[in-house]
Amino acid sequence: MSDWSLETLIEQVHGILRDEILSVENGFSPESNLIEAGLDSLAVTQLMLSIEERTGVWVDESLLTPENLQTSVTLATLVYAQLRSA
Amino acid sequence: MSRHAALPARIPLTGADCFLRAFDAEIARFNGASHLSQLVLRLGPGFDARRLRKLVHEAAAAQPILRAPVRRRYGLGAPYYNLSEATQRPLPAVDVHELEAPPADAGFPALFAQRMNERHPLRRGDLLRFDAVRYAGGTAGTDLAMTWQHLLFDGSGSERFVRWLDECFRGEQRPGVLPNPMEFDPPGAPPRSLGERGAAARAWQAWLEGFGSHPPQSLAGPRRRTPQRLEWDLQTLAESDTERVVAEAGRRAGFLTPMLYYLALAIRAHHAVARARRLVPGSYLVPLPVNLRPRGAEGAIFRTHVSLLWFRALPEQVEDLDRLISTLKEQRLAAIKARQIENGIDAMGFARFAPTRLYATMARRAFGGELCSFFFAFTGEFLGGLDRFLGAEIRNAFHVAPVPPSPGSCAAMSLRSGRLNVTHVRQRGVFSEAEQALFRASLRADFGCGS
Repeated sequence: MSDWSLETLIEQVHGILRDEILSVENGFSPESNLIEAGLDSLAVTQLMLSIEERTGVWVDESLLTPENLQTSVTLATLVYAQLRSA
Repeated sequence: MSRHAALPARIPLTGADCFLRAFDAEIARFNGASHLSQLVLRLGPGFDARRLRKLVHEAAAAQPILRAPVRRRYGLGAPYYNLSEATQRPLPAVDVHELEAPPADAGFPALFAQRMNERHPLRRGDLLRFDAVRYAGGTAGTDLAMTWQHLLFDGSGSERFVRWLDECFRGEQRPGVLPNPMEFDPPGAPPRSLGERGAAARAWQAWLEGFGSHPPQSLAGPRRRTPQRLEWDLQTLAESDTERVVAEAGRRAGFLTPMLYYLALAIRAHHAVARARRLVPGSYLVPLPVNLRPRGAEGAIFRTHVSLLWFRALPEQVEDLDRLISTLKEQRLAAIKARQIENGIDAMGFARFAPTRLYATMARRAFGGELCSFFFAFTGEFLGGLDRFLGAEIRNAFHVAPVPPSPGSCAAMSLRSGRLNVTHVRQRGVFSEAEQALFRASLRADFGCGS
């Protein structure tokens, strides 16, 4: 079991997306819709690589369902579940 | 947005353009044709062909890249569109052809395939043409083909251009104003030294040459000097089948990476034909174009902005679909990790200054005479949200991608109004009738649609 909390993961995912991957306005929040914000296949892979670098956990792309990719919160929740089961 | 007066006299080709120019030069020299793409619309009644001609001509007057000769000073240096020569070139053709009734088999006019095999010399600025085939004076619908030199637009740019034409028709855009072809260049890392870019290009080249350890063999076999005779057909899945296939692609390959599922199926369809011939290639090697755009940008209309990811499957990895998809996923991830998308941009950047056919020559040398096993594209929703074009309902829309006589086969897939389109472009004679049937049957079986 890792030291990551869900809150920290949400902050991390949101920060990576906001600062490194997407080009978003100030209103981009952890609850913003990611597909509408421009998340595409390459961006999501880059995000997963960044997450792997920080947490050591790789999230297989087949787990990235529309529901999981809805917001930074849903995505972080998926990563958190993976971390807990690792 | 920019008008003609604001444009420079010369617009450089992107690295990807130069890659495509290498194919064009190869095809011009050995196959007597050009590297052309087609966007096809099946339209209902009401299409305004006269207005299309007027719009295209106004666009070409405002945006000279649409008929600008591609030049290279003294045969050296990076090639460019010579905009200052463009006004001396003819306007893009918009021809209307009349037929009494649509083909009985719901097929498309033979003229469209014929257009794919014509010469459109880059040096003459012969870059774009339209053919509208009207049935019963247009009352029974129209089939429209936009044929272009596959570097004027990439696949995504061609869709944007068609959208733009319709926006002009509806009065949402002005025909005399088109996006500047220089609106963006491929995004990349911050400026780096020549040495760093050289190292990246060499890494990409080494990656490619590594595939030579299991050389591909296309179904055309390496056949270099043969007249290009492309033909194509279209399979369209029913809505219910498409819904199931799309869900399956997302489930097996990932919601945002379904192209790997479709690529796997295309490999298996080619493998079915190879197996029937008792042909065992060293591998199936396929390049997948990756569309590039700056963060947050919609994409460009003009010039090609792509890199390439290469995928290789060994024959023993093809039989088990799950294993094949898993192999492709691993390769995609490894290539992204190794920055091969960015390396590809650097390699193509250097190709701008290289002899025109250098890439094709290097690839054929590394891959035992082949460029790859076949071409493939999955472009997602095609013209999504555009229901009408110049006054007529769009009943179907898809891309006919180019392929040289060798490898001689290209599978292009996209979605339109909830239905999956599979366009199979091939060099005539590469597939026998029985093999075409086998190819289609393999795809349909994998799609779960029976034979």
